Amino acid sequence: MAIAERPSPVLARSGGTVLVTPSSSLGVFRRPVSSTGWRSWVFTVDHKKLGIMYGVAAFTFFIIGGCEALLIRLQLAAGSNKVLSAEAYNQMFTMHATTMVFLFVMPMAAAFANYLLPLQIGARDVAFPRINAFGFWCFLAGGVFLNTSWFLGGGPDTGWFAYAPNTSVAFSPTHGVDFWALGLQITGIASLTGAINLIVTVLNMRAPGMSLMKMPVFSWMILVVQFLLLFAIPVITVALFLLTFQRDFGAAFFSVDKGADPLLWQHLFWIFGHPEVYILILPSFGIVSEVLPVFSRKPLFGYKFVVFSGAAIGFLGWGVWAHHMFASGLGPVSVAVFSVATMAIALPTGVKIVNWTMTLWGGKLRFTTAMMFAIGLIIEFTIGGLSGVTHSVSPSDTQQTDTYYVVAHFHYVLFGGAVFGLFAGFYYWWPKVFGKMLSERIGKWNFWLMVIGMNLTFGPMHILGLQGQPRRMQIWTEFRAGDGFFNGAFWNLVSSIGAFILALGIFAFIVNVFLTYKKGEVTPGDPWDARSLEWMTDSPPKEHNFDSIPTVHALDEFFHRKYVEDEETGDLTLVTTYAEIMAEMEAKGDKNIHLPSPSYWPIVLALGLPIIAYGIIFNRLLSVFGAAVVLFAIFGWSLEPSVADASDYDPPVDGDNGESTKELATLG
Amino acid sequence: MTVPSNGGSRFVSRARRLALPGAAIAALTFLSSCAKDAPQDTFQPKGDNARNIDKLQRTPFYIAGAVFVVVFAVVMFCVFKFRDRGQKIPKQTHGKPALEIALTIVPALILVGIGIPTVKTLFMLAKTSDTQCVINVTGQQWWWEYDYPVQEGCGGITEPIVTSGEIVFPAKMNVLLKITSRDVIHSFWIPALNGKRDAVPGRVQTLRMEADHPGIYAGQCTEFCGLSHAYMRMDAVALDAAGFETWKTNQLAAYESPADGTAAKTGESTFLTQCSRCHQVNGLVNANGDPVISRPDQYVYSGAAPNLTNLMTRYDFAGASFDLITDDCRDKLWSAQPADFSALYLQGVTPECFDPVNLREWLRNAPGKKPMYADPAKLGPTDGKTRGMPNLNLTEDQIDQIISYLTERK
Repeated sequence: MAIAERPSPVLARSGGTVLVTPSSSLGVFRRPVSSTGWRSWVFTVDHKKLGIMYGVAAFTFFIIGGCEALLIRLQLAAGSNKVLSAEAYNQMFTMHATTMVFLFVMPMAAAFANYLLPLQIGARDVAFPRINAFGFWCFLAGGVFLNTSWFLGGGPDTGWFAYAPNTSVAFSPTHGVDFWALGLQITGIASLTGAINLIVTVLNMRAPGMSLMKMPVFSWMILVVQFLLLFAIPVITVALFLLTFQRDFGAAFFSVDKGADPLLWQHLFWIFGHPEVYILILPSFGIVSEVLPVFSRKPLFGYKFVVFSGAAIGFLGWGVWAHHMFASGLGPVSVAVFSVATMAIALPTGVKIVNWTMTLWGGKLRFTTAMMFAIGLIIEFTIGGLSGVTHSVSPSDTQQTDTYYVVAHFHYVLFGGAVFGLFAGFYYWWPKVFGKMLSERIGKWNFWLMVIGMNLTFGPMHILGLQGQPRRMQIWTEFRAGDGFFNGAFWNLVSSIGAFILALGIFAFIVNVFLTYKKGEVTPGDPWDARSLEWMTDSPPKEHNFDSIPTVHALDEFFHRKYVEDEETGDLTLVTTYAEIMAEMEAKGDKNIHLPSPSYWPIVLALGLPIIAYGIIFNRLLSVFGAAVVLFAIFGWSLEPSVADASDYDPPVDGDNGESTKELATLG
Repeated sequence: MTVPSNGGSRFVSRARRLALPGAAIAALTFLSSCAKDAPQDTFQPKGDNARNIDKLQRTPFYIAGAVFVVVFAVVMFCVFKFRDRGQKIPKQTHGKPALEIALTIVPALILVGIGIPTVKTLFMLAKTSDTQCVINVTGQQWWWEYDYPVQEGCGGITEPIVTSGEIVFPAKMNVLLKITSRDVIHSFWIPALNGKRDAVPGRVQTLRMEADHPGIYAGQCTEFCGLSHAYMRMDAVALDAAGFETWKTNQLAAYESPADGTAAKTGESTFLTQCSRCHQVNGLVNANGDPVISRPDQYVYSGAAPNLTNLMTRYDFAGASFDLITDDCRDKLWSAQPADFSALYLQGVTPECFDPVNLREWLRNAPGKKPMYADPAKLGPTDGKTRGMPNLNLTEDQIDQIISYLTERK
């Protein structure tokens, strides 16, 4: 862990902007120290900057994946449209799913986790800051690498589930699947290193007094997700390696004529793939579990039940993977077991719905945009959860699987659940992260357009699926669409129109961000009368997060510092304000604060990986070069001292009496 | 306030009283009014197996609908009742374990209630001992082949029958499908008769099928199987017992070469040079009088092409994607009453119903009509073999001749 000792920025702050100008140059081998300009972002190891970069990159992929979805809906608006060829359509739905799952929801959850988790637990950074930076660059490198397939012979065309043997070279002769396997391998490194990093952070770096059962639910859910990642990513890693060797090195893991069983891939993929679903949804469960109490002005109903049901989902999530394979021919005994296990997982999920609803009950509700998205999640996710229960009835699932009914189900879960949760998070934490309030007026437009859009898009898919329209078909026929109110032609059109309303809702968000950036209202100290530690600091927080690390006495520590509850009546009295708490923390500010120093090596190491991957596809010599870059970076990284050299900071402050030789910067 | 006030709970119980029947009515309307003419509607079983599924699936759908209405009502109640009207900050209560446990046990009991019949139905659908007819079903890119092995079942089959597109079987008989694939994974699905079963290469998997009445039932490959997945359909055709006997006899009838001097006779020799490499026509002989055996394995990656011996006993081709008959005739066939269906079906493609447009376009440029891998420049990974049918660059005359020849394949 790179830790450089610096003079307390409490003192530095009084001088204004921190500027760093290197006095001597040792070429690229000189350690980066910029705290402004593009270098301060590219070489940063600050969890907050990395969180923002995760968010920006993930949102960009969200737009790309959204455009892919719009093309799909344009093609399906009428039965035999010619917007996309069969080839392009297959690539489009493969990349839409891959992008949304691996390049949007997962990294967006990582953005929230990176930025907020250390703040919520009262830490100054994550446990391994350079590895944190490495994870971000791996994600970005993998995502960009994967998308370059569009320009290098075509994207992957086998669906995001990539069932063998359809992924073999004979059946998918372009390089798309190679890009897919290698790209996800690289983003997988991001998830795996991130998981270890955040687990260590939560277990070791919580503020004094914060026992696990006093930890905010968001942090809890992120912890559960990291454990899921820690065990799920290795499985997909193995599967992707098998696939890469199958395609590029002549292996026969999935060659039926050589005795392979193609169901091997399905088991590996879904042993990863089902926990993955909870990896996508639990962060959003955490977010609404923060938002609902704040805007209901009540603690989360049944905190312990929410935490344990989250952990229970984390365990049960491992025992249900074969419910994706009810039609694969596993035999009735296996199917029965997985059927029952799938029903069981509905229970902890139901517990959450009950607890959120009961949090609203008897509260004092303020309908901010964040709150509306959170309530929207309760409703929309309930629909998705209930259609999920109908799937657990395995004989009936053999009718519904691979139809649009399933598409409806998981979009209610992932859009109505995961994405609504993320948007609740955007509105709730935007003032914290960027110091400006998103417009509530545009926010309402954003919310209602998204709600109407998503229900128009995905609602009709229930009908389409029950009417027997299968998924992943570039065309559908009028003849099989039926007549009357429930005919497929009408509902396909409605769904396509809905998709564009949904897109309009997302556009409203982008407009909101732009206008807020231009002339948004500056965040007042404590805009939401919030409850947890991340609000007990500046907005945006200083580089070192807290002037002094708070000691935690209760769940919802910040709230309980502000308010004192009358034992008998339950009446609350405001005893301290945000400003007073902040002043007190600043007065007690730590003299010397350990903060990690920036580093070149994470980005260099991460950029070596796609070079290896391009080499595997196009020219093995390139792989050798990529491997050399990786080795060079690992070497440089391991030799990099844990503290930056004194000469890296400029100029040393006179009269520093040797206390802090690693001077951060001159003042303004 | 923490405890729901009396007013609140009265409201909720009233809402609940209204919600449950409301939901049930809404769900019933929804489910029963599903389009009558959607041939792949999953709520209109036409045979025992699909009916067993249907009986099982309705209850969870109703329960799910009812639960949603309750959740929606309670959330909306909270939204209107507890909005911030300047009331004081509520007491900071942390929950009620008793309520939580109750609200966990109730759904658990519901799930047990769903789980037991689920497992029962599951084993019922997996049973193979009571089936009276075996049909082998083989998927490949992008069509289905059905072959009827020699057996005592199916009313007795003395010589193997090979067909494609439409799987024909006797109504009211428990049929056992043995499903596999020659290339990638496909999935066999006739919604009116049973759920899906994947066709996995290297495995043979079983699926029961039974139809109450003679009729034609639509289906579609439901496991993504590559480029032309959308064009891989199938129909199941149930005939009455006598009709099925006739169908078997027709399929095994001796080959009749077209009369000399007809366009069809020229078509036979064109077929021999252009088509018979891949497509088998049983009984066809070459100029020397030797039987012509097709060798699709040398040209097609999955190693098979549809048998065309009795093409005109079927009503569509190329993965049941394109009709051989006019829309009117198709509608007549699909809406025929069970009593009339077998006779109508057994007429095959009559001259009045035959519509050569699709067949002509297909012969002119097959990959242009249905996406397939047939571009010679892109066949490296498959050792030069196509996936699907290539463009044969036939002249218009050749196309006419072949069509004349094929119209006689009954």
